[in-house]
Amino acid sequence: MEEKILKLKEEILKKMSEIKSQVDVENLRVEYLGKKSEVVEILKNLKNVEESKRKEVGEKANSLRQEIEKMVENKKEELKELEYVARIENSEKIDISLPTEKSIGSLHPITITERELEDIFTSMGFTVEDGNEVETEYNNFEAVNVPKYHPARDMQDTFWLENGQVLKTQTSAAQNKIMLKYGAPLKAIFPGRCFRNEALDASHENTFFQMEGMMIDKDVSIANLIYFMKTLLSEVFKKDVEVRLRPGYFPFVEPGFELDIKCPYCDGEGCKVCKHGTWIELCPCGMIHPNVLKMGGIDPDKYSGFAFGLGLSRLAMMKYSINDLRVMNSCDVRALKQMNVK
Amino acid sequence: MIIAGLLIFGDEAALGEDVKNIIPIDDVIYEVDNKSLTNRPDLWGHYGIAREIAAITGRKLKPLYVENIEKYNDLETLNLSVEAEDENPLCLRYSAIRIENVTKKMASWKMKVRLYYCGMRSINLLADMTNYIMMELGQPMHAFDANKVHSINVRTLREETDFVTLDEEKRTLDKGVLMIANENEPVAIAGVMGGLNTEIEDETTSVFLESANFDATNIRKTASKYNLRTDAAAHYEKTLDPELTKTSIERFITVLKEEDPDIKVTSAFSDIYLKRYPHIVITIDKDYIDRSIGKELSMEEITTTLTNLEYGLKVDGKVITIDVPSFRATKDVSQKADIIEEIARIHGYDNIEPKTNLWKVAPIEKDPVRELEYSIKELLAVKYGMSEIHSYVWYSFELNKKLGIKVEDNLKITNGIVKEDNTLRRDMAPTMLYAVYKNIKYMPEVKVFEVGRTFDYNFDLKNAIEHKVLGAAIASNNKEEKELVFEAKKMAQDILKINKNISARFINRENIDKSWMHPFNTFDILIDEKYVGYISLVHPKISDNINAKTSIAILELDVDKIGSLAKNNIKFKEVSKFQTVTFDLSLIASSDVKYDKIENIIKSSNMKYLQEYSLIDIYEDSKKLFGKKTYTIRFTIYANDKTLTKEEIDSDREEVLNSFKQNGIYINE
Repeated sequence: MEEKILKLKEEILKKMSEIKSQVDVENLRVEYLGKKSEVVEILKNLKNVEESKRKEVGEKANSLRQEIEKMVENKKEELKELEYVARIENSEKIDISLPTEKSIGSLHPITITERELEDIFTSMGFTVEDGNEVETEYNNFEAVNVPKYHPARDMQDTFWLENGQVLKTQTSAAQNKIMLKYGAPLKAIFPGRCFRNEALDASHENTFFQMEGMMIDKDVSIANLIYFMKTLLSEVFKKDVEVRLRPGYFPFVEPGFELDIKCPYCDGEGCKVCKHGTWIELCPCGMIHPNVLKMGGIDPDKYSGFAFGLGLSRLAMMKYSINDLRVMNSCDVRALKQMNVK
Repeated sequence: MIIAGLLIFGDEAALGEDVKNIIPIDDVIYEVDNKSLTNRPDLWGHYGIAREIAAITGRKLKPLYVENIEKYNDLETLNLSVEAEDENPLCLRYSAIRIENVTKKMASWKMKVRLYYCGMRSINLLADMTNYIMMELGQPMHAFDANKVHSINVRTLREETDFVTLDEEKRTLDKGVLMIANENEPVAIAGVMGGLNTEIEDETTSVFLESANFDATNIRKTASKYNLRTDAAAHYEKTLDPELTKTSIERFITVLKEEDPDIKVTSAFSDIYLKRYPHIVITIDKDYIDRSIGKELSMEEITTTLTNLEYGLKVDGKVITIDVPSFRATKDVSQKADIIEEIARIHGYDNIEPKTNLWKVAPIEKDPVRELEYSIKELLAVKYGMSEIHSYVWYSFELNKKLGIKVEDNLKITNGIVKEDNTLRRDMAPTMLYAVYKNIKYMPEVKVFEVGRTFDYNFDLKNAIEHKVLGAAIASNNKEEKELVFEAKKMAQDILKINKNISARFINRENIDKSWMHPFNTFDILIDEKYVGYISLVHPKISDNINAKTSIAILELDVDKIGSLAKNNIKFKEVSKFQTVTFDLSLIASSDVKYDKIENIIKSSNMKYLQEYSLIDIYEDSKKLFGKKTYTIRFTIYANDKTLTKEEIDSDREEVLNSFKQNGIYINE
């Protein structure tokens, strides 16, 4: 009996080593462990073995059965493994350098720049307001302290409309409405499209974007303005920028300033952006003129504030190194689609 | 004397002498960067700039040497008259004096060189003198030949008049232009340019010297109307101090005597002073100054600054009472804010340390229309691969013509450079079509959009009504028209679903009122039966003009209207734990039955457990199904509290089939 067990074992080992498929493994299992297999037969017939050897034979037969089970299991795993190897070898070698479908469009550089600025401003507690594009003469001029016959009206080449309204020449045209809407204290920015009646060239457009801001509260000082503009512009240019003020004249502020920043692209060493001038004239600003506050329904004896303008079109051009302002309104998708969406 | 390009000196120069001893050409240039110059009439002369530099540097301003002309008071007074219609005369002050025996013809080297450095050409002594004083003090002056001018009246033209100015051009001047006249014969356009008829000539030895002050706005209008932007006009436009007319005559005589000691003043200082600017006094206290600047300055610094700028001061404790000098009082300085500027700028803006304030913090309200606008832009760019463009808010006459786009009349620009491009847009579509036209030659598919403004105007309205509108165009040389229309529909649905959780109804537009709209493939978009936009296949006439191979769909949505809608709350529905049943029905209907009819039947049927339905397939085959088509609809039914029995399922199925039957739609067996 013991010999038979040994023989069986050898036989199985031999067959197992020749097997190539899962089906054959299963067949082998049925042959040696199935109901009619020799191993099961041996176990069934243990009662016929003489008693002294019964235990030993039983143990050996059982251990053979376990060994076969183990072998089958291992063989199955081994074959599975081979299958994966074969599948991997047969799978396509993907050329990742192939292009994907171009499915993402683009936002306008002004939109992207505007959104970035708005995020900075809202994080500093400013509301964002929309202005009109067609404005009354009053809002565009009178309400920002540019009375009739003021030379500033000539300086800005205005598009006049047949009903006496104008295409707004400056975002300041929204100042009055915003002051009347919110009163003081007030922190608001108002980006928008502006228009000047002039011929087009690389640096002149009749349609362009500005962003203007106002901050009105008790005891707002020139020192506050400088602090605020420095903080803001450092955020815009993602570095600590140096600012300076020079006297400037804008009818709606007094005093008025031209704010320059030390060129953030070359740290003032001289480059194309600052035209080797170290400083870039960036932002007209000033303390809001008492007349403007009054017309906006705010008492200039109680409140003061500052206002500032940012050339959105100009900032967008700086951001993307666009040299020709005409790109902005060109509608040329070949140019604009480079902008991505953020 | 200059002969053949050689400068010949007379006895004044010894051989070998440094030319600089004779011609004072040494020059020092200070660059003064001041953008507010146009608003500072007092800085339009060197003396004003000197005053400013003295204040900035803390040095003493040299006095202006002038001859006292009181001593001529006993001489003949010149005959002057100035017309004034009201309390705002066009000529505020007219001063004059007569000088005779001017025998020298050429100005000194010193004067010539100085004028040259100021960008002026030397003409003759008297003309150079007027320019020199203008450069020095900012007051334009005019020298008439006294043999030709005896009395002056300043008046506006009663009728259109021809006049030859010093530049030898004959101009026809309109009625109402302010003129200087000699015995009613015009001799100069006031404050702008003299006439050729009274020009100083070589033989002129006596001069009738004008030093006047004119209304700035009127000068500016006249100068720009006749395109005579002279130096004199440029100065007058700044609103000069009328006090300056007398000082300038005094200074003129002083300097002229240095040039030509033999001159004789032969009239009294003659003067008509119609309008004086009010004397301005500003009271300000030191705390206010400190608060406004955001830095505490010493009282001494404040008073020194203001004194150096020639303000009159009275200090009482912390309160300063300030007398504004006349040369700052014409428009520039009138209130406290102006004084803050004086103190702060002389202190130096760079010397003010940045400081924060204790601002109140409050949550920010976001404008729903702006939020919607950004959301639309991002969606269209990210999901639909569209490019945002910026177009102009007026129509292009040329492109409308070329593409065959006809537009309705609207508010017009009256003074644009391109005169024909004057009509503001009522719709976004035309400017989107321009963009398609510009791009389609470079790419087989153009997908562009803009959230821009459109304007509605008619003559009953005072002001135009402005709308924020999305305009989008999808143009393709490969895709089918239907595909483009459905892409536009999906955009509109996505925009509404994402931002407002609402769905719209799309119906055939009845009124095809725009030239680019397809006669029947144009669809209005309705929310709660209110119009919010449209989708249109572009009329083949126009798309053909753009490109014969191109199909174009247009989408316009009123962003203002949609932005103002309330967002539909999302009501969460528990997912059923019980079995879901789906079944498909293939329905045969007359081919004019639209899908929305099918939907309406389903919605109005009495199905008890209907949760969802969707269109699986449409089949149309004119041969097999003449005049008919089939819709295959998948129904999903379940209950939240039980598993449906076969009877319940069948009953729901029967319900919807009955509803279809009543509408002449049958199951396709």
